[in-house]
Amino acid sequence: MTQTIDISRYSALTEAIRTEARRILSDGTVSAVIGYTSGRRTGAVQPIVITAADDADKLLFTAACVNNLAVYLTKAKKDVPKRGRIAVVLKGCDLKALVGLIGESQLKREDLYLIGIPCSGVLGSVLKPDQELTTATIASKCCECTDRLPQGCDFVPAVDLPSPVPLEQRYAAEIARLEAMTPSERWEYWKEQFSKCIKCYACRQVCPFCFCEQCLCDRNRPQMVEQSPRPSGNTAWHIMRAMHLAGRCAGCGECERACPMDIPLNLLNRKMAKELKELFGTEAGFEVQDKGPLTSFKEDDDQSFIR
Amino acid sequence: MHLEKQKHDFEPKIIAFVCTWCTYAGADLAGTSRMQYPANVRVVKFPCTGRIDPVFILKAFQQGADGVLVSGCHPGDCHYIAGNFHARRRFAAFRKLMEFIGVDLSRIQFSWVSAAEGGKWVEVVTDLTERVRALGPMVEFKELALEEQWSGNLNNPELQAVYEAM
Repeated sequence: MTQTIDISRYSALTEAIRTEARRILSDGTVSAVIGYTSGRRTGAVQPIVITAADDADKLLFTAACVNNLAVYLTKAKKDVPKRGRIAVVLKGCDLKALVGLIGESQLKREDLYLIGIPCSGVLGSVLKPDQELTTATIASKCCECTDRLPQGCDFVPAVDLPSPVPLEQRYAAEIARLEAMTPSERWEYWKEQFSKCIKCYACRQVCPFCFCEQCLCDRNRPQMVEQSPRPSGNTAWHIMRAMHLAGRCAGCGECERACPMDIPLNLLNRKMAKELKELFGTEAGFEVQDKGPLTSFKEDDDQSFIR
Repeated sequence: MHLEKQKHDFEPKIIAFVCTWCTYAGADLAGTSRMQYPANVRVVKFPCTGRIDPVFILKAFQQGADGVLVSGCHPGDCHYIAGNFHARRRFAAFRKLMEFIGVDLSRIQFSWVSAAEGGKWVEVVTDLTERVRALGPMVEFKELALEEQWSGNLNNPELQAVYEAM
């Protein structure tokens, strides 16, 4: 049964973001604010970088604010001014990605002014951006979200969150379904999913952690991953992508949202996050960690699989 | 101790990614000690198990390997202090990913073989070869390599309708 999710606080959030952005821009705390603004279609939302206090009224927060704005701070995106402190509007999941970037020495905390959003969830698809947020239209990542209230930010609007509606754990259910299959059934499943891939690399472009100057799959001496959108190259790319994000992915789900072919990319990421939590007891959070699970080790790590 | 050569219907191709300091020396010891082990294994030497990227394993399967062996120094014996500790975590994660994708994990073997363990090298290689021989050829990745671009297939009703309307 679908149930409406209470997002009445989002208008208060919009007000709070505007007031704060106006204040920090006019007193010179920051040189720019990265936030959301309305898009062309009714209800549509797009990212915006504002540098003048007068533009603060353009900012807003609605259920269509799906983008992870942390991606604009990585060195892969060069259109954000690099001078002075930058303010950025972040949901809990986006903040975890940003914390991961700080841990990987991609950003400095003192160069940032974090505006955290107490979030009740966003839409899964923005094809119809003005649709109502219900238990059916909410993004899958929000169903399993445990960190609705960001921590360690410079400013979090004082808005009390409504008590969360019980939601179906979509990824957990899908992972359990796949784990119960035989290896050949799983191979068939992924073969079909990867067959849809057109190698547009939207998943890479939108990922805050894909900041390499040159991606391994763009290199051709030696060529480790076939570049054309053919079966073997697609499979290798998606396995490699999941492996490179293992232990780093914060679960913002942008890869899955950006995928034009609806490949369940975040499912691979969630599975790896689950496994790494079981193996090494680590997961993405709001605390900056110097070393991720795959860049550190313990002498007594499990080696039962090694002969 | 020359064993009689056996004829098999299927000779698996095994790629062994080994570290130069321990397992390569161990394999060398097996050779100089005149120990017999299956010639199915193709050894690729790396400076350290920490240098072995999981993508090499994928590439090996794509290029026709039926089984992959990754072998290096015992924990604590790494020439580069901690390379094998990092490799251990990486491969623990990679195994889980391959399992989830649907690859039979008995085709991928990890082992620690020191420079003094020529006998263990023979044992590991023989075991893996016989296990992969029993499993038969690894067809999944090879089939992928032969398949044409899926997105170009016109068996999709939507695409077919558009095509016919043109």
